[in-house]
Amino acid sequence: MPRGYGSVVTARIRNFCIVAHVDHGKSTLADRILQLTHLVDPRKMREQYLDRMDIERERGITIKAQTVRIPYVPRTGPDAGVPHTLNLIDTPGHVDFSYEVSRALAACEGAVLLVDAAQGLEAQTIANLYLAVEAGLEIVPVLNKIDLPAADPDRVAREIAHLIGGDPDDVLRVSAKTGEGIEAVLDRVVERVRPPVGDPAAPLRALVFDSVYDPYRGALAYVRVFDGRIATGEQIRLMATGFESEVTDLAVISPEPVPVASLGPGDVGVVAASIKQVGDAKVGDTITHADRRRRAPEAFPGYREPLPMVFSGLYPIDSDDYSDLRDALERLSLNDASFTWEPETSVALGFGFRCGFLGLLHLEIVMERLDREFDVALVATQPSVRYRVTLDPSGDVIEVSNPQDLPAPNAIKTIEEPTVSAMVLAPSEYVGAIMGLCESRRGELIAMEYLSEQRVELRYRLPLGEIITGFFDQLKSRTRGYASLDYEPDDYRAADLVKVDVLLNSEPVDAFSNIAHRDKAYEYGRAMVSKLKELIPRQMFDVPVQAAIGTKVIARETVKAKRKDVLAKCYGGDITRKRKLLEKQKEGKKRMKMLGAVEVPQEAFVAALRVGGDDSAR
Amino acid sequence: MSTALAAPSRTWLDAPVESGRAAGFGIYLHVPFCRHRCGYCDFATWDDRAPLIPRYVDALRAQVQREAAVGWPAVTSVFVGGGTPTLLPAADLAGLIATVRAEFDLTPGAEVTVEANPETVDAQYVATLVDAGVTRVSIGAQSFSTHVLDVLERQHDPERPLAAVAAAREAGIEQVSLDLIYGTPGESDADWEQTLATVLAAGTDHVSAYALTVVASTPLGRAVAAGAVPSPVPDIARDRFDAARDVLGGAGFDHYEVSNWARTPARRSRHNVLYWRHGDYIGFGVGAHAHRDGHRWWSYRSIERYLDDVESGVAPVAGEERLDTEARAAERLMLGLRLRDGLHPNDVPPIQPAALEDAMTAGLIETACGRLRATDAGWFLLDDAVLRLV
Repeated sequence: MPRGYGSVVTARIRNFCIVAHVDHGKSTLADRILQLTHLVDPRKMREQYLDRMDIERERGITIKAQTVRIPYVPRTGPDAGVPHTLNLIDTPGHVDFSYEVSRALAACEGAVLLVDAAQGLEAQTIANLYLAVEAGLEIVPVLNKIDLPAADPDRVAREIAHLIGGDPDDVLRVSAKTGEGIEAVLDRVVERVRPPVGDPAAPLRALVFDSVYDPYRGALAYVRVFDGRIATGEQIRLMATGFESEVTDLAVISPEPVPVASLGPGDVGVVAASIKQVGDAKVGDTITHADRRRRAPEAFPGYREPLPMVFSGLYPIDSDDYSDLRDALERLSLNDASFTWEPETSVALGFGFRCGFLGLLHLEIVMERLDREFDVALVATQPSVRYRVTLDPSGDVIEVSNPQDLPAPNAIKTIEEPTVSAMVLAPSEYVGAIMGLCESRRGELIAMEYLSEQRVELRYRLPLGEIITGFFDQLKSRTRGYASLDYEPDDYRAADLVKVDVLLNSEPVDAFSNIAHRDKAYEYGRAMVSKLKELIPRQMFDVPVQAAIGTKVIARETVKAKRKDVLAKCYGGDITRKRKLLEKQKEGKKRMKMLGAVEVPQEAFVAALRVGGDDSAR
Repeated sequence: MSTALAAPSRTWLDAPVESGRAAGFGIYLHVPFCRHRCGYCDFATWDDRAPLIPRYVDALRAQVQREAAVGWPAVTSVFVGGGTPTLLPAADLAGLIATVRAEFDLTPGAEVTVEANPETVDAQYVATLVDAGVTRVSIGAQSFSTHVLDVLERQHDPERPLAAVAAAREAGIEQVSLDLIYGTPGESDADWEQTLATVLAAGTDHVSAYALTVVASTPLGRAVAAGAVPSPVPDIARDRFDAARDVLGGAGFDHYEVSNWARTPARRSRHNVLYWRHGDYIGFGVGAHAHRDGHRWWSYRSIERYLDDVESGVAPVAGEERLDTEARAAERLMLGLRLRDGLHPNDVPPIQPAALEDAMTAGLIETACGRLRATDAGWFLLDDAVLRLV
């Protein structure tokens, strides 16, 4: 290897990340940096080089953090001509993963704030910027896409300066697409971002900012070393989980893994230590030495257990896929410690699993990975959040994340729901539309601030349950796509919540039970009932479809008894076609679910749930 | 439990009383030509192949002669369907029937039916057929309402079928049937009432009335899919059906099959009853089907392919299937229960007691004098009824 991969002088290291809104060009900028520094053979270059999962590339989002070590010699500034090592940590870019983002930020000393010169600041940019500022990072503001005809760099530069202080002229202007200005960004990183400080002689403390599962080597921990030194062959300990093992391999990513013997203060690399699952090396955990005498007295601050916020029942569409689904969930949780699952059964949907996710995108990603990587077709029940229920008369508090588990109304004293503190950024002309939406979703306005004449920031407290049911889609459509949203968990608040049950021929259909605000219960009940009326095939008798709160029916439709069901004439003696139709119907009958005396094809439930998922009426 | 269940397990196949081979033996001839292909039609027929008619007639004759050599039971019914059989010159059609009579052994009083489109026949044409031994004419009237005929793309006005009936009568045909379609988009209750009244006035001795089935691959199917024409409503079809039962039944017609009415049992369509009795038959021509004792086969649906095969001495068989007992049992029930009389006790295939109980409890199936038959309600929900039994 021509370049030195061994120990690097700490003062010549710069650890930085890129904070950007989705589509503002973060991955393209990373691609350009890789090309500029000749790290990737031009023939092997592909777009979004650092995003490894197909889903990441297709959706243009980063789900897992990535890191790349870049040797770089700045051309300008006080260190011009001196070789440096830059570690670029590519962070996930979605509100579902804000904890992961915060850990990746904690591994850095600086952040490039990348903003689309045409679109301006977005909520996610600001949310992550605040996280970066909170983490004490040096901010290097950069305007991207200055080559676009719609770019308005002067206005956006003023917005940025307004937000972070400083001079608009200080904002660098680049085009990641054409490559213009990329070197200036790296020069600025070397100049402004402070070098890491750490004591090589102190007990080892390395922050795990991501962990990924490798089928051959188990979980690999992406770490940033703060103090001490980690070397292959050493016994290490994960301080939060207590997992201990021997370091089998150490590598830096440049951008393919390059083995190294040890990592010291300021270094960023990958640790392989026969860790069976990512749950043993969770994001935010601290690696130290196993030997008690060499152990760090305190872990790196800020660790927290991954906490599912959104829950949904996942059921295989074909019940024969149940065990495949269980295997797939097991394997998936090997490399996704933030997702939880337990078996659940439903009258309508059969055997499945109650799963917990960080958020809706996380749910979608898991669904998509199950479909794509494990080939299991799924249906998900209406997403739910975790409610806190105070029981009457005992006063005991239970947590309910599945509407079916909600006790009867007379056994409940109060129900509290999780809220979030949400930030919406949009052109000022949409303020009315956004306020209307937030109010219809039981939002409480906290603050409103004009970032510039054209751009406004709204802060709302909103029930999480309202956010996860089509809120984002509604926001986008009401603002013609211009609004952006970010939110973070806030406290629990009491609300007038009720469970709406859906009954078929007076039998409750568990999969459609839903916890909703009393004011919206009717709307939900109405919507589900009319949907099911369309989807449930006519039976030999009239079938009432009802929505009810407790014993009180709030909506009702009737699937009228069928009156005609006889195959048409058989023409010219073609009995074969007729018999095959009959055989097909017979096959279909086997897949029918019996709910009491009512025969319903599983597809009807699946279709109702699919429609229900997109339904913003709730 | 019913005697239907008591029948020995193979009797229904080996020694049926009315069904299977006991039902007779039929010959079907297909004529795949029309002057205009109607929008709802998905049969094997073409309106742009008229120049092929002479070759086709020759090929049919050749196929009849060749097949006859195999050896078949005595023929109880012959049916010439289409397409529009009466698009052939009368002499050709008569010649075809003569060939069948020459090559096969027809029982005394065998039924010989020709399907006719109203605009293609007059008394002279029918007289030629009568001379050839045709005993029955089935005329496709479909409706007596102009705008309904327009939706169906029929090429005749409402009066024409009446003239055709008169022409058939004049030529000496005793058995005349009118074919009707109900539930066409745009048809009103009054339209249907008027159609039924006209049928009664026409004085035929047989009526077939079918609910319009929209097939996706037809022009009508595409129009429905595109939203240009509303989809037929099953409940309306049922209302029309009930009206047909009232009117025809009130006029003395016997409703002997789901879609068929006859003045007297002797005037039932013997050939169609053969199909419903799960009988044996052989088919000639494009897309024609044949059945003998659980063996089904059919010819190509392409005129050119059919002609090539027959002209080069190859049997034009496009496909075949040999049914297992289970499939034959399903067919026996599916077909036999369409008849008001249902199945003779000896002809009923084995049915799981629980399945029979279920169908009877649901009010779909009943036994009457040992016969297994659909209830009044079950007759119109026959798919559901049969699905419970098989």
